[in-house]
Amino acid sequence: MIARGLAALFAWSPANALFRPLSDNERQALEAQIGNVQVRYSADVMCPSECGLEMWIKDGYLFKIYGNPNVPFNDGTLCAKGAAGIQMVYSPYRLKTPMIRVGERGEGRFRRATWDEALDYIASKLVAIKRTHGPEAVIMDAGDVTDRDTYWRLFFAYGTPNCVEHGAICDTPRRHGPKLMLGGKRIEPDVMRPVLVRQPDGSLKKDYSYKTKLIIYNGWNPFVATRINYESRGTVGAQVETGCKVIVIDPCHTNTAAKADMWLAPKAGTDADLFAAMLRFILERDAEGRAGYIDPAFRGYSQGWEEFLAAFASWWDKTDPATGLKYFSLDWAQARTGLPRQKIEEVAHLFGSIKPAALVWGMQSPGHHYNGYVASILGTALNVITGNLDAPGGAIDTELTKSDKGGSATGKQFLTRKVKRPVAGKVVEATQDELHMDRYGDWPSAWDDVVGDYPRAFLEGITLRYGPFRGHKYPIKAFIIRTGNPVITGSATWKWQEALTARDQSGGYKVDLVVYVDTPFLETGLYADVVLPEASYAERMSLSDIYPSHPVLYLRDQVIQPLHESRTPFEIMIGLAQALANNGDPDIKAEDFWAKYKTEEDFWNEAMAPAPGKPNIGEPLPYPNLPIGYKLIGTPDSLDSGRVTIDHEKKEVKGEPLTARWIREHQGVAVWPMSWRRLHPTGGGILKTGSKKVEFVFSAYDKYNKLIDEAGEAPRGIKELGWPKYPRTFYWFETKWNPNNPDYAKYLGGFPFQLICGRVHHAMSGTQMVPWLSEVEVEGTWAPMNQEFESEILEVNPGQTQWSIPFVDPATRYEVRNKKFRPGTFSVGTILINSDDAGRLGIQMGDMVVVENPLGKQVVGRAFVAETIRPGVIKMGFATGGRFSPGLGPTFVNRAYTPNHNELVDPDALSPIMGQPAYADMLVRVRRA
Amino acid sequence: MAKKYAFVIDLRKCVGCYACQVACKQENDVPFGQFRSEVKVRQDGRFPDVKWRFLPVLCNHCGNPICVKACPVPGATPDRKATYKREDGLVLVDTDKCLGCGMCAKFCPYRARYVWEERKWEGWMRKADKCNYCVHLLDQGLPPACVRDCMGKARCIGDINDPESEVSTLIAQNKDRIVVRENRLTGGLKPTPNVYYILDDRSQVA
Repeated sequence: MIARGLAALFAWSPANALFRPLSDNERQALEAQIGNVQVRYSADVMCPSECGLEMWIKDGYLFKIYGNPNVPFNDGTLCAKGAAGIQMVYSPYRLKTPMIRVGERGEGRFRRATWDEALDYIASKLVAIKRTHGPEAVIMDAGDVTDRDTYWRLFFAYGTPNCVEHGAICDTPRRHGPKLMLGGKRIEPDVMRPVLVRQPDGSLKKDYSYKTKLIIYNGWNPFVATRINYESRGTVGAQVETGCKVIVIDPCHTNTAAKADMWLAPKAGTDADLFAAMLRFILERDAEGRAGYIDPAFRGYSQGWEEFLAAFASWWDKTDPATGLKYFSLDWAQARTGLPRQKIEEVAHLFGSIKPAALVWGMQSPGHHYNGYVASILGTALNVITGNLDAPGGAIDTELTKSDKGGSATGKQFLTRKVKRPVAGKVVEATQDELHMDRYGDWPSAWDDVVGDYPRAFLEGITLRYGPFRGHKYPIKAFIIRTGNPVITGSATWKWQEALTARDQSGGYKVDLVVYVDTPFLETGLYADVVLPEASYAERMSLSDIYPSHPVLYLRDQVIQPLHESRTPFEIMIGLAQALANNGDPDIKAEDFWAKYKTEEDFWNEAMAPAPGKPNIGEPLPYPNLPIGYKLIGTPDSLDSGRVTIDHEKKEVKGEPLTARWIREHQGVAVWPMSWRRLHPTGGGILKTGSKKVEFVFSAYDKYNKLIDEAGEAPRGIKELGWPKYPRTFYWFETKWNPNNPDYAKYLGGFPFQLICGRVHHAMSGTQMVPWLSEVEVEGTWAPMNQEFESEILEVNPGQTQWSIPFVDPATRYEVRNKKFRPGTFSVGTILINSDDAGRLGIQMGDMVVVENPLGKQVVGRAFVAETIRPGVIKMGFATGGRFSPGLGPTFVNRAYTPNHNELVDPDALSPIMGQPAYADMLVRVRRA
Repeated sequence: MAKKYAFVIDLRKCVGCYACQVACKQENDVPFGQFRSEVKVRQDGRFPDVKWRFLPVLCNHCGNPICVKACPVPGATPDRKATYKREDGLVLVDTDKCLGCGMCAKFCPYRARYVWEERKWEGWMRKADKCNYCVHLLDQGLPPACVRDCMGKARCIGDINDPESEVSTLIAQNKDRIVVRENRLTGGLKPTPNVYYILDDRSQVA
């Protein structure tokens, strides 16, 4: 495959008289492609950690991928997945050309199309949909958050407010507490090292020293679900170098648990129970005069604590119907979590007494439970009252410390356009944004949209219930999905299949247009009418999206030209914008697209303009030469040397804007200094709440309550909880499909197991065609338990790389080979079950088992029988099995005996405030197949 | 004193992520199912006193390499066979000389070697291979790919004859927890491995 590409290049030999000589431009382009090894800096997208990369290219081929040592987020390291990137870029399973469906949806029959034809097909449909139903009938789902901005800009300009991304189905309950109380999202331990710190003498120095003494990871497995790269080296680094203690709380013995000083395995979905007991214990001991747990200084940068405390303590005398015990007591927590009382007490005592510490909770849990909100609110409160928030070595909300980006490039300004809609016989005029299907529909408090509820939206349409357009109804007629695969990952697979193939009265599909844009070909693509091949991350440009302890930003650079007929997101934006304009779309204008951006770099330079956007605050002050508390914008060196303009009215310092060129010239990364104690209630600290303080009384809910007051009805999520409104402060409710919830007691006899899931970093939705990642074994949910099979893979031609780099011919380095795999040599998704449970059920290692839920759904897979999971709990990797798109290569071939966990998810269990699917709330039974 | 390479893996910092294994596969074009650098995982104990244990392994670049003894391909000098030991301690394979007989792989007490097939002319040629500490990088002053990518910063290579080097410091500071891998040979052969492990207390379970 690759060999043919290079042969074509060499065919331009001047000796061949059939060819014309190259122009100067062509020659330069050719020389740039041949020549020696070039090193380009970039950002990963093999996983959402997006580590800084060095990509080596030779003769136009991506040749090596390493971590960029200048990026403090990953400090030169690179995980297995990142190092396997070449096998993704050159995978034979990549989408190669645009395609248009010829069979029925789901059949996977397509014909090849040109880009012009495909874009025109999409544009004409979109223009027709806008004319008949309004642009709001179109959803643009940018799947992974990365590089969404080009797509969002185009679809905001087209007129829909319904542009979403993967965040909606990731872990919204986990992020809710920090968002509500801090204006942030992700609390992580202060273990990113090095950090760039201003020294007393004014210089900047990389500081490698750890300060953290205790980390509690609850339902968070950073060593395997690698989202925050530095937690791998930082956790073990702090342990070895400063004696930091690590406690891991997870029903499954994860790789992170393997390095812990204490592993506690509770019943699934009891995060809030444990946190509530910890908080009650700390408060009661503190009230007894036990000094040291609570740092009273938190009162200075928070509001509403008394009210929160009163609401929390009001439960203490109530009896829980499930246990007959008083809420939040240690005995109650023991009964609910299944952990020994003294262990719960010990964890609470350690967290109260050891400082600095960080309490961190994860995507897997509470992120995947219906009541994860309660846990994330309690967890935030615990970090705040113990004085750990933004303390050196403590807990950092990295949403608040990361660099700003996006700016006007995102096209959010289009949302303020005024639009008119007839509602109940009257014409109403309001903003485009107020047509939003979730925020003015059933889910007003869903900051990150509700992708998990799309099947219902596809089937039933949208009724706006809040805001000026209350009463306006519209169908969803087009679903544009880009680098996402909700058929497998967006709650129950069967429900998505049903919704995408449902027909209207005229016999056509209810969702008239489905467009799939991606580099690999995943299951959602099987339901598309048009498939567009997007350039891989090595072939396009954009910005890193990372969660460091202080502002760091880098470029995802275009290091090789797009392969096959793929196009970059920028090219697709411009191409589709032009196609829309050609089809008569009045809202798409040259000055917003092709006349505004001459190159992809123009677009990303605009997106970089707001960086870092953080205040000059904390200890030590990042820029002592600049006013305290002012917002910083511009390159690190311009701010450092004072090449700035200062706007005292806006309290803003502007240096020279960050650009792609600046980043390339500075080792591929912009790093602004670290500081701690950046909360400052009065000098413009990093907190982004309404009051600029930590909010124990949740003002963020005020606007939703206002909508409820105006409309006179509560949204479906909180109505389900029996709440008329969003609470002012602490609240409590149970999770679904859980033994502790009396509503499900009737199922416990027949369905005695809890089913949980977790991300296997090495086997995520889009990268399972990478053979190097099937040579690894992870935690009993991704294991070499394959049957014999044959499949094409990208294989090396060894003998190329001996001794020194220049001798390697990258053109012949890899080839696609059909290979036979012996049993037990290739990792596949498995079903993890405790050995005592397995013994009772007569299940042995490798046996085929059936897992069934009370909704009548079942999956099969091979049992991985181990000691590494709590009895009564079953675990599957997220999206590791049952994969029915041929684009998954070997993983597709092995689909018949690997489990798709999401087949068992309850599509109606959408967590009540933000609509996230409750991926880890389910009861099941297990038997031998 | 002449330079002598040694490798230290701090098991306390190994997070079981396989970055070393995959970095090596990328760097050295190792075929599917074969490894120069590998992570072995094992679970020990009974619930709840259980541990996953991770053991990253690679060629030990032994002081007394049995593979070199086993190699039947003569060289210009006795220490320059198809498999030979370099002065700085690296045990290397000269693939131009290697006949692919596989004796070195058979006798390696750590099973660190594999035999691959190279497409040559119209047929295939067998070659032995194994970890060479990424000598092509090392000789340019760059760390091996596995050291560079290691997510836990658990790996380190350097000159054990230089008391100031990081490997020497690590070995000196962790004297009572330094181990080398046991081998499967019995009898009097002492391969003397040069890959040192710092043991992890937390991995010791009842």
